[in-house]
Amino acid sequence: MKRAPLILGFETSCDETGVAVVRGSTVLSNVLATQVDEHARFGGVVPEVAARAHVEAIRSLSHRALRDAGVHSMDLDAVAATRGPGLAGALMVGFSYGKALAWALDIPFIGVDHMEGHLFAPRFENPEYGPPAVVLLASGGHSEIVHLRRWGDYEVLGATIDDAAGEAFDKLARFLGLGFPGGPAIDREAETGDPAAVAFPRALADRPLDLSFSGLKTAVTTYVRSHHEAGDLPPMADLAAAIQEAIVDVLVTKTMNAVAATGVPAVGGGGGVLANRRLRQRLAEECAGAGVALHLPSAELCTDNGAMIAAAAAFRLGRGEVTSPDAEVDSSMRLGA
Amino acid sequence: MKVLAIETATAASSIALAEDNLVVATAGRVDRRGHVGFLVPALDFCFAQAGWTPSDIELVAVDVGPGLFSGIRAGLATAQAVAGAVGAPIVPVLSLDAVALRAATGHRRIWAVVDVRRREVAVGPYRPVPGGVVRDGATELCSPAAFRASLEGDAADVLVVGDWRALPEGTLLGLHAIKTGRPRYPVAEAIAEIARSRAERGEVPHPDEVRPRYMREPDVTINWGDFRSEGPWA
Repeated sequence: MKRAPLILGFETSCDETGVAVVRGSTVLSNVLATQVDEHARFGGVVPEVAARAHVEAIRSLSHRALRDAGVHSMDLDAVAATRGPGLAGALMVGFSYGKALAWALDIPFIGVDHMEGHLFAPRFENPEYGPPAVVLLASGGHSEIVHLRRWGDYEVLGATIDDAAGEAFDKLARFLGLGFPGGPAIDREAETGDPAAVAFPRALADRPLDLSFSGLKTAVTTYVRSHHEAGDLPPMADLAAAIQEAIVDVLVTKTMNAVAATGVPAVGGGGGVLANRRLRQRLAEECAGAGVALHLPSAELCTDNGAMIAAAAAFRLGRGEVTSPDAEVDSSMRLGA
Repeated sequence: MKVLAIETATAASSIALAEDNLVVATAGRVDRRGHVGFLVPALDFCFAQAGWTPSDIELVAVDVGPGLFSGIRAGLATAQAVAGAVGAPIVPVLSLDAVALRAATGHRRIWAVVDVRRREVAVGPYRPVPGGVVRDGATELCSPAAFRASLEGDAADVLVVGDWRALPEGTLLGLHAIKTGRPRYPVAEAIAEIARSRAERGEVPHPDEVRPRYMREPDVTINWGDFRSEGPWA
């Protein structure tokens, strides 16, 4: 059998510079320079700060990924980089670097859809994962439920009509003074809280596959302000647990609706929000109850990384799809479009 | 010495291949936004014209600004990737230096101008010397009015080069002893020339020290200050 191609993947769509070397389903190296501390003081990802940090990090990170994998750049079969969606200035760094490296090494370059990368991420640790499946993709920048019909054939069944789930975590954590990024902060705070302490609303009950989080934001701020004035605000742990429950509940319910609608035997997931422990627990319970398999990547492959970009690139390369040298980034790229 | 020079710090992108003093291939395009799509096809074109392969490169020269932020980063990322792949050193060049080098004057003081948007320009004064120019004061970012004030305070005959057309109309009006001239944009041939002479003097930094010269702090306006103000603890 022909050996799977050796691919170097770059991910610079948001606030993590990720570089990885992948062969088939094996991650040979996966290095990351996170910018969390640089953005934390602003309470969110600042596009210009992100782009600056990527260009500072990418050279040494690229060399480290090769060194950690024990391979030489001459051994590579292809180079891949995220083409979109994401922050344009940030995307341009990895895309330019990857394209130029492929040119210098005279090997193919593949510009990858970031969301397709997330669709491939569960494969590394779950060999049985694959189509047909319903995949929940949720992060600070996107929230959608995808029908993975075949590799390369994706239908977005539902998506958020306003904020992304991770954005809701970030904004509410900031509102409560819990810090950035909001997902991990609320996850930690909620550990000892009672998720039933407050019944925050679950939006869009009449649209089984779509998501909405801006109503929750308003409900929480209204609730907190009035109870703060009245002096009967529940403990922070309870608030965090109730907020987390509201977000998780919507994500899980809509995902299971999609499973019922499509009849697929498996659920996958990707994006930073899928690292949330309560979400993982609830998905495991619901999938077990429905008799469908659940394939989630470990937390480090849920968040943005170069390995998933290399994995999606391997699939595209196998179909003979390489990216033209004159390609630009596409910050508003849409899965399946 | 075979030099690859990359210029994407302004609206005019270019690539040049030079061997010692001789430019053997160039490619250029004027487009404020298309830096990422320009670079690799231009490399392909120039290397085919020159009959070079990437492993021939002995030095990579790159414009690190000041100028358009995204263009600077696309050029630097490209330079870093190519230099790393072929094991060549990388030498950064200021856009203003490259503009001033091509100013045609034997005696006037040269002020180079590069557009950095947000109603500011990057400027720097230079003095012509045999075979080139030398920097003759600090480079800085300033408003058109502040630039005019600098020119008014300059007692010498002055040639303003670079993107002075980016200045609001009338900025230079009524100034005595001021001429405007070409070039409008830095070009890769000038980047190659400056980098080669630096490399010959041993001025080759570690690749991690080659960074963009934005000359401006990032804009950190975040769209949710209004949201925070709702918080009871804000």
